[in-house]
Amino acid sequence: MQAMQPKKKVAFPRYAEYNCAVRYLVEQGLEATCVLQPALTRHTEEIGAKYSPDFVCTPFKTVLGSLIEALEAGADTLVMTHGLCRLGYYGELLEQILRDLGYSFEMVNLSQYSTGRKKDWLKAAQRINPKIKLPRAAAALLETFKMVDYLDEITARYYQNCGFDATGGEYARAYRQFLTALYRVRSRAEIENAYHEARQAFQRIPLDKPAHPLRVGIVGEFYTAMDAFSNLGTEQKLADMGVEVHRWMNVSHRFLHYSGEKNLNVRIKDLCTYEMGPTSTANIWCARDYAARGFDGLIHIKSANCTPEIDIMPVLQRIGSEYKVPTLCLTFDSQTSDVGLMTRLEAFYDMISQRRRKTF
Amino acid sequence: MNARTLPIPGRHPAPPDKLVIGIPRALLYHRYAVLWKTFFSELGAQVVLSPATNRTILENGSALITDESCLSAKIFFGHLQTLVGRCDYILVPRIANRGRNREFCVRFSALYDMARSIFRQTDQRFLAYNLDVLAGWEEESAFLQMGQSLGYPYKAVRRAYDTAKREEQRTFKAQVRAQERLYKAEGIKILILGHSYLVRDAFFGKSLIDTLRKMEVIPLRADLVDREAARRAARELLPTCKWEMNRELVGGMLLHRNQVDGVILLSAFPCGPDAMVNEMLLRRCKGIPILQLVLDGQSGTAGIETRLESFVDIIRLKEGKL
Repeated sequence: MQAMQPKKKVAFPRYAEYNCAVRYLVEQGLEATCVLQPALTRHTEEIGAKYSPDFVCTPFKTVLGSLIEALEAGADTLVMTHGLCRLGYYGELLEQILRDLGYSFEMVNLSQYSTGRKKDWLKAAQRINPKIKLPRAAAALLETFKMVDYLDEITARYYQNCGFDATGGEYARAYRQFLTALYRVRSRAEIENAYHEARQAFQRIPLDKPAHPLRVGIVGEFYTAMDAFSNLGTEQKLADMGVEVHRWMNVSHRFLHYSGEKNLNVRIKDLCTYEMGPTSTANIWCARDYAARGFDGLIHIKSANCTPEIDIMPVLQRIGSEYKVPTLCLTFDSQTSDVGLMTRLEAFYDMISQRRRKTF
Repeated sequence: MNARTLPIPGRHPAPPDKLVIGIPRALLYHRYAVLWKTFFSELGAQVVLSPATNRTILENGSALITDESCLSAKIFFGHLQTLVGRCDYILVPRIANRGRNREFCVRFSALYDMARSIFRQTDQRFLAYNLDVLAGWEEESAFLQMGQSLGYPYKAVRRAYDTAKREEQRTFKAQVRAQERLYKAEGIKILILGHSYLVRDAFFGKSLIDTLRKMEVIPLRADLVDREAARRAARELLPTCKWEMNRELVGGMLLHRNQVDGVILLSAFPCGPDAMVNEMLLRRCKGIPILQLVLDGQSGTAGIETRLESFVDIIRLKEGKL
């Protein structure tokens, strides 16, 4: 009889709060151990930037730092996603840099498996657990989707309302509890439970919200716009000023409920004819949608050197001038300071609130 | 309606006689010049080129787009501006990929729509063809559709495309053969590994090549190579690299690395694919002198010349010729 293979210790880079879903899929679906490295810090960015090429986009540096922290925390198998922009080449270069640094690990680079054939994804999963049980993995995958769905829904609701919390902290506490619960769930029932508790808490906590609060829409790059550490908590900072913060872009909207490139593109045919980049159509549509719905301001978040997001800037400027909606473009790299960002956000807030007073 | 019969935007019933088509002499012009020029002149259109790159073009282009864009895009928009208002159409194709793992930098997907947004105050019309094989748009069908949308009959467009394609292949093969002969020449040979739009640019690449020639070095271009063989050769070194042009360049180097004395990695600041692929090349390719040059449009030529001189000196020293 064959000896029992030890469970692989799998790690994925830190990415907003989605690591709870990765952990669920790895542990419940693939029956491996998921190593959860520490949350992103300045230190993560610094070690990442130190070993990265200079003008690669900032998420690469953060991801490299996060993978180094995962290896230090005991991971022996790293999973890196594929992608449609430069992200698709992250895996190969990350592996090379880590090997040159002397780390020893197994790399599952999904770029190698994105061949267009579905069964190749199974091969990638078998690298993590050769004895994968398909029914179990499929069920866990669906539960993971549900989890991401709930996470995005609660997060969206949180940023739309937390600035108007009448209790001075209950709302934030309920959101934190929800996140903590998601990092611990082991079954479908526990996922549902965490979700319903968060919903009930959000309904219970009294809000002090005007009938027409200031609304700001956030569009931007798939990593930096969603990851609170990478954008220095832009959403929280805005919400704390008393703004209803909207962000359509998240994993569930882009992948699970995406209406498809073509269906989205028809709505912005006048602005853009072709798909300009992997998230460009969604961002342009979304920015226009916010503008048309009378939002008070738009914020475009991207990392330094993000090619597709740099390229949609002329279109966003056009939306801004045609709909007369103030648009703030923020670029984040590992140097961006918290104070500088605060000054810009305060100035932006002052401007949109004064415009509001003039119009009403 | 099937995707292939969809009219391209900005279509109008154009009189097929003497359309003026503007072509910016930047970016993919340096790859597709023969194809584009032959296609339009075969159709009977008049082709207008933008002037060779100069500092004014770069400055105007930099003012049009955000300063975070790459040097090559800034040059491109400068070229575009010189053509605006002077032609019926300006050609800005949308080029996404030629198939799986044969993709282009995402910026080439965005240029057409960027141009439309940037020049929206003018009534300039832009002309695109959509090369996106993964979405069902082969070069041939894209050209047929573009030609017909201008009002030319199918047969004429078909003939123009076939002629242009033949002409493109013939000239490219001749260029490759001419360079193959240079590999066998006597003297110090340095291979320039950089995108054709940088190496062939009249402002940036030309000054580099002239400097090398002055030092009695034979400059060679990595992009002049049997493209298919080069892509195959790059497979092993860059297995998941999906950028067509970077694979060709790296493959071009791998096929000839024993015939040259040194390699210059030439890239524009901050070129997305180059940032990653060149890093990989430096990490995986040992045993040949490599100089990495990044052009940012700010520097005078003195800094570059100094670096080239010391690089060539090192090669001469290494070969005992100094």
